[in-house]
Amino acid sequence: LSAHLGRCFPDYLCSPEENVHMIDFTRFKIRDMETGTVLFEITKPPTPGNGQTQKCDPNAGRFVRYQFTPAFLQLRQVGATVEFTVGDTPINNFRMIERHYFRDQLLKSFDFEFGFCMPSSKNTCEHIYEFPTLSEEMMREMILHPYETQSDSFYFVDNKLVMHNKADYSYSGGP
Amino acid sequence: MEMEISGVSRTHVSILPAADIKATLKPEAERPRCASTPCSPIRGTVAGYQILHMDSNYLVGFTTGEELLKLAHKWSEGNPEKVHVSEPVSSSIKSTVPKSVDLGIHRSSRIFKAKGRYYQPYDIPAASGRRRRRMPSSSDTFLRSLAHSESGRGLHAPLPLCLLKGKGAQSKSLDYLNLDKISIKESSDTEVLQYQLQHLTLRGERVFTRNKT
Repeated sequence: LSAHLGRCFPDYLCSPEENVHMIDFTRFKIRDMETGTVLFEITKPPTPGNGQTQKCDPNAGRFVRYQFTPAFLQLRQVGATVEFTVGDTPINNFRMIERHYFRDQLLKSFDFEFGFCMPSSKNTCEHIYEFPTLSEEMMREMILHPYETQSDSFYFVDNKLVMHNKADYSYSGGP
Repeated sequence: MEMEISGVSRTHVSILPAADIKATLKPEAERPRCASTPCSPIRGTVAGYQILHMDSNYLVGFTTGEELLKLAHKWSEGNPEKVHVSEPVSSSIKSTVPKSVDLGIHRSSRIFKAKGRYYQPYDIPAASGRRRRRMPSSSDTFLRSLAHSESGRGLHAPLPLCLLKGKGAQSKSLDYLNLDKISIKESSDTEVLQYQLQHLTLRGERVFTRNKT
């Protein structure tokens, strides 16, 4: 495990079936905290609860790719609002640890608590990402090498990993 | 009974029937631009997701793993003579997707170009008439030029390794992963210690101390 601590995990650490609490993200929004500008907002219908599995790769549903512009790297604080539903059991100590990497360097680790969630509830929570200070050289490298900035998002309930999402990022977005 | 956390009953959110979900971005009619709406909202659907807003000053593309795999499959079945590799693969990841393939990033630029829109992605817009606190540095122009030259290359990225691997994984516990204690736990393992020392300067991280013997 220690060999992977310096970079994004190449694979998922749990299967989609480990999400026994049926946590389902239905809405996501990010905004610049300094201006309040909403940068991105997305929603999706709740996943059917009849146990149907996706026809495509099960990991495909837990990966996203963003194409940001260089201006995004100038932001200092971004608020991320997530809306999610949970299954019919109460959830104690719901927590997310998210780690952002550029190549084999950890940029920053974030640790957010969602707390307790009532059974069969829809919940909304906003967390504030305080961006790490990046050198001009680092920003240049991140722009020059799209999708080599990556993240792992680990979700825990009572300290047990139940979900693992991944993303990668480009900062060379333009017209 | 299904309840929201605030006590309001959960209502079914009807987005789009699965049969109507297209892989391509379907923009809504744009509102006329004016000083109060410098960025027309980007709306569309991506693999079941509905994009409600995308500020093109900061974000010009979003896609999902499903979309990437669909396009990779589509292009791998396409005419191979028409596909070429525009640059060498820089990683050891094997991918069946040619580097020159557009990997499904739904970009606002497709809409904006069609509309002949004036587009300035790199300026940080002022809000409420006040300037942002951070003044642009002398290197900002250089960073913009880098982005301009690299924007096309950004679409030609290989599939991420996590989508190419299909094996299952066993769930772990937080204690086993030790993710929340990495910065403070003392360890005699040299590799772990080096990693911890390397990240002492991360903002907000606790300072790691080690008693030298």
